[in-house]
Amino acid sequence: MRRMLLVLEPVIWLLFSAGMMVGGLLLPAWALVMGVAGPLGIAPAATSYDHVYALASHPLGRLVLLAAIALPLWGGAHHLRHVWLDFGGLRSDGLVGTLCYGVALLGSLAAIVAVARL
Amino acid sequence: MSHARPRVDAMKSARPGPTRTAPPRPPDGFPGARASAVGAVPPGREKLRSYLAFGFGGFFLMSVSLLVLRAVWALGNGEAAWSRVQASLQNPIYVIFHALAFVWLSWFVLRLFRLFPATQPRRIGPLRRPPDAVLVGGLSAAFVGVTLALAAILSGALG
Repeated sequence: MRRMLLVLEPVIWLLFSAGMMVGGLLLPAWALVMGVAGPLGIAPAATSYDHVYALASHPLGRLVLLAAIALPLWGGAHHLRHVWLDFGGLRSDGLVGTLCYGVALLGSLAAIVAVARL
Repeated sequence: MSHARPRVDAMKSARPGPTRTAPPRPPDGFPGARASAVGAVPPGREKLRSYLAFGFGGFFLMSVSLLVLRAVWALGNGEAAWSRVQASLQNPIYVIFHALAFVWLSWFVLRLFRLFPATQPRRIGPLRRPPDAVLVGGLSAAFVGVTLALAAILSGALG
């Protein structure tokens, strides 16, 4: 499995760098508005189904959501795998790498389905 | 110099290259450097902490992405499913987690931008590379602008 991870390394690096940039730019605003301001009642529109559905179902909204879900998953997976390696987890790299990228792959596929259903 | 045992690099190529390189090894005191017997704090200790905190940003990238996926999935399932997700987000644990994620990811991306100039060539196309402060300042300003614009759109204040 580690051999396959080495072969896929250039593709994973591309997704990793894109994921860090996209995730870093898009997710803080989501966390602040949808996770803090909305539930606390500071931004009531953020909890409105009609408002969020209108944003999310727009073609540009679908594209942004797909990028905001799929790319950071790959960025985070690669980061966590390397944190594991930094702590000396080389022997289990094949397992941990497969687990991290597996979550990213399944999450990306689910994201495609989720935005297509809107 | 680190006295830790060298270990095999996960990215090591199958065949040796033309340039000999030393085996990778963790820096002294990794991951949690402590003061030595004479009381001196090892140099670079703060950088190690910052490096590890940057690495753990991957956890927030993944977990917030999965929470976005959960919300989008609920949107597709209709208003009742969306309301259930919104009700669960009222839990203080979720609110604290999101506040922490906001702070961590903001720091994460600003640190990423500070690393950016070192990855750029001396010339970008026909132009000389702008000063590092301009690159970092521009990217940081773009982050603030994107975050404010997205926050305004999501909260209904804009658009």
